[in-house]
Amino acid sequence: MNLAYTFAYYPGCYLHASAGEYDMSTMAVCELLGIQLIELDDWNCCGALEASNPLTLSLSARNLALAEKEGLDILAPCSICFNNLSRANNAVRGGGRTKTIINKATGENYQGEVEVRHLLDVIVNDIGLDNISNAVKVPLEGLRSVPYYGCLTIRPSDVSKFEDPEIPRSLDDIIEALGADCLQFKHKKDCCGGNLLLSSEDFSLQITKEILSEAKELGADCVTVACPLCHAMLDYQQSKIESKYDIVIDLPILYFTQLMGLALGLREKELGLNKNFVSTVKLRRR
Amino acid sequence: MLENPDVIDASNLDPTFKYDISTQLGGENIKRCFQCGTCVASCPIWTIDEGFNPRKIIRMALLGMKEEVLSSEFIWFCSRCYACYEQCPQDVRITELMGAIASIAEREEKDGNIKIRSTKPILDKAFVNSIRKYGRNFETETIISGVLATKGIKGLLSYVSDGFAMLRKRKLGFRPEKVKELGQIGGIFEALEEK
Ligand code: SF4
Ligand code: SF4
Repeated sequence: MNLAYTFAYYPGCYLHASAGEYDMSTMAVCELLGIQLIELDDWNCCGALEASNPLTLSLSARNLALAEKEGLDILAPCSICFNNLSRANNAVRGGGRTKTIINKATGENYQGEVEVRHLLDVIVNDIGLDNISNAVKVPLEGLRSVPYYGCLTIRPSDVSKFEDPEIPRSLDDIIEALGADCLQFKHKKDCCGGNLLLSSEDFSLQITKEILSEAKELGADCVTVACPLCHAMLDYQQSKIESKYDIVIDLPILYFTQLMGLALGLREKELGLNKNFVSTVKLRRR
Repeated sequence: MLENPDVIDASNLDPTFKYDISTQLGGENIKRCFQCGTCVASCPIWTIDEGFNPRKIIRMALLGMKEEVLSSEFIWFCSRCYACYEQCPQDVRITELMGAIASIAEREEKDGNIKIRSTKPILDKAFVNSIRKYGRNFETETIISGVLATKGIKGLLSYVSDGFAMLRKRKLGFRPEKVKELGQIGGIFEALEEK
């Protein structure tokens, strides 16, 4: 077992429910690239965007404490989980009153030894682009994709430390390493508004419409994302946006792990490509 | 009543409000704000609705306009995108600050001092209840109870086709996933409520 690439896998609630295809494609791609994922035993919800700060930090810290006992770093594919777990880590490492509140709430004695890594970070920076290119079996030649980073994958930079919040590159680089064309995308760092979907639906849909419209105008074949909430907005809400604004978008939205899987020769079933709402058939039968 | 509703009545200001905020987790840096407006320019919600202006909310809070701030629907419009947080020259950490203000609003509503004008905290509550019950979010139940509480039966019915689409894709389950050490999860909630 190569410990360098062994992680406590933190799928989070979305990957076990509405983002099942992200879970499946993560596990399939990681296995192929030699990243060993051991699901964190008895993990709990990080608090997502819904819990208040003290609660989110404490819930997240319980997971960190579990990983610390196992002696493993955490790998999280969901950018919301990644943000919360990392913020909790920063809070504990900062010590003082916040650390006391957190450890008192969890009843654990977490010391901040665990690193929290985003899946995208591990794939680009640990495995590396050369190894990804070398593993490509079916180059995605002629496929045009736009990278969409959204918010929590790259911001804030004192929490997400692996990317440049102004000029993020990791998704761009992956798209290119797979042999596809990466298009310049102005909306790549914009918010999808997903957090407001149920309380202020008009805001969320309008924001997401702008993102989808640019991708459509650019002539992209798909949008590549790294967060389940971005995916839900761009993919699941796409038909609602089409009918609300009377426009046609019809643009497949892929998790970067699904796009990788296509190029690495993984089977469609392993990538959950039939779970996406906007049909991915065009991409599969290229 | 003031003749001009835009004029601030100084006798209604609560100068302790800023201290209340700065002792909340996330609100620590509010007093650093020097009103440059960089946050506004980076805010995606402001571009849609100019009524949502983070600089103005901070100014009002610093002035002590407690009731106006806490009962404004705008404090629930923040999408938590961290665009302002990243740009602010004074490291006010606005995104976390908005969360701190929202927490105070919930507390003040519980104490009967203000009325919240947004469904956001009710929806969030449905999610948090699920964590308390199971340790994880049971999406199916969270969505149903959240929509029911905020939009009623009629509202819920309007989501039926969405729900079926999710079920067809096997994206929603019928059973919650449960954490084994649920007592520890309950302990977290209790410890934070005590405080
Ligand atoms: S960017 Fe920072 S300093 Fe400038 S107005 Fe906003 S919060 Fe205040
Ligand atoms: S974090 Fe909130 S206030 Fe700041 S830019 Fe985003 S939506 Fe606006």
